[in-house]
Amino acid sequence: MTDKPTLTCATTDESLVCTFSGRLDTQACAAVEADLMARVAAATGPVVFDLASVDYVASMFFRLCLQTHKQVGAERFAIAHVQPPVLRVFKIAGLDTMIR
Amino acid sequence: MGQAETFDVGELMARATRAAAIFAQLDQEQTDRIVKAVHEAGFAQRVRLARMAHEETRMGKWEDKVLKNALATQMVYEDIKDVKTVGIIHDDRERGIVEIAEPLGPIFAIVPVTNPTSTVMFKTLIALKTRNPIIIRPHRNAANCSIEAARICYEAALAEDAPEDCIQWVHDTSREETQAIMAHENLALVLATGGGGLVRAAYSSGTPALGVGAGNVPVLIEKTADPAFAVEQVLMSKTFDNGTICASEQALVVESCLAERVIAALKERHAYFLSDDETKLVEAVAFDRDKHVMTTAAMGQSAARIAEMAGFSVPADTSVLIAPLEGVGDDVPLSSEILAPILAFYVEEDFAAAVNRCLDLNYHGGIGHTASIFSNDDAAITEYALLMNAGRIVVNTPSAQGAVGGLLNTLSPSFTLGCGTGGGNITTDNITARHLLNVQRIARRRPNERFARFDKSLYLDEALDAAAIEREYNRNS
Repeated sequence: MTDKPTLTCATTDESLVCTFSGRLDTQACAAVEADLMARVAAATGPVVFDLASVDYVASMFFRLCLQTHKQVGAERFAIAHVQPPVLRVFKIAGLDTMIR
Repeated sequence: MGQAETFDVGELMARATRAAAIFAQLDQEQTDRIVKAVHEAGFAQRVRLARMAHEETRMGKWEDKVLKNALATQMVYEDIKDVKTVGIIHDDRERGIVEIAEPLGPIFAIVPVTNPTSTVMFKTLIALKTRNPIIIRPHRNAANCSIEAARICYEAALAEDAPEDCIQWVHDTSREETQAIMAHENLALVLATGGGGLVRAAYSSGTPALGVGAGNVPVLIEKTADPAFAVEQVLMSKTFDNGTICASEQALVVESCLAERVIAALKERHAYFLSDDETKLVEAVAFDRDKHVMTTAAMGQSAARIAEMAGFSVPADTSVLIAPLEGVGDDVPLSSEILAPILAFYVEEDFAAAVNRCLDLNYHGGIGHTASIFSNDDAAITEYALLMNAGRIVVNTPSAQGAVGGLLNTLSPSFTLGCGTGGGNITTDNITARHLLNVQRIARRRPNERFARFDKSLYLDEALDAAAIEREYNRNS
């Protein structure tokens, strides 16, 4: 795991896959918010947030997930490859239904 | 964020639940940094918040509310700052037990009108120390100052990267809304300090609750006590914030051999002894006979103001109103809890009679709360403590300051005093951070060797009684 958060987005087979890494604290989320939401708005197919390399999420990341969920709909949005510490956080928050 | 002037219970709880999730990731260092910042911010605003509370509620004395705010921040922080509340908090290799502290989840904190800012800061500090989000529900007659205290705490917490919505507050909730929050499936705990009705509602909600019972604190001045010292200490407590602390003394019970000296000491300190007629007048303004509770009109008022309300005058510097009484019960209203500078006064022939009177008072609305004794006889102190039903038996101490802890003894500083099952509570403790944790235990294999060696087939032999089995169980060879 790296402490420096990064976001990489790629479109494959019409799916937008946003791969996050590191510690997604409030500042990191704020730094990627505009770019992320613009890509989500432009997406025509499924949107996937890949959290394989994420070890911490802040409240703001929940908001990004909820915004994306609302924008593209439950059937087109998924969170994938969640590590146990972060899965626990989603479970406590009651947001684990977004995880596939 | 944080504020919910008009609110939806579902949204309020969703925010709290998400805050709980984020909170669960914080380590001890991050948690302690938040708690330190909140304590400092609350302490810095202790005078302004005290003045706000006094102006809004018209109860008590703002100078004493400053001390309450200092206790709720400085003393509480001192008590909890080095306590481990995150991750592994205890590792006993020999027994194979490792204890892990986990947060409870969202806490709904009911705050009373009598301590509206100090209780907010106290509950917030112990909630944050244990990584639990908190929702403050102020009393409607103290909403502005309570919410301001919560806002100050929240801003300080956010500045240290605490989770969004880790502190929320609701304003002027209806009974139905309050019940809906208390019964919400995502709420972990109700931390209920307030009137009996609210505390009962908390316990009835189906959500775990830590509540408080009512107090009716008897003070026994035993024959070995120093009467002047006892009176000085009692008045220091009973006049503090005009008697609004539920652990303040309600009745003096004096052994007859000390009565004259106690009365003289009281008069020297500007206590006013009520006549029978004046006692009836005070009863009428201080106690609601229909509801069997003190009136809010008298709560936290000065002795002179209460006399004025009752229709007679006393010197302006009167410290307390003393009502010499014969009995205890519903037909003797001033033998009940009155959070104002009014003291019932009893003279009893000897120690046994004095203890009996204290028991009457203790069981008349104050079960499990606090009892007080002034004595220099350890045996008498112990005998008294064994007979009283009280979570705290304070000795040679002003009971308000003694019961809340941290100032005159080593009880945990707290604004929520458990009253045990007698008071309808689960604990007699002074509630603090350690009560807001789920402790998980790793139990490594450490076989009970006696059980391993014991011939378990002996259990099948009905001829063997408990003593016979015990002999075999403890056999060394």
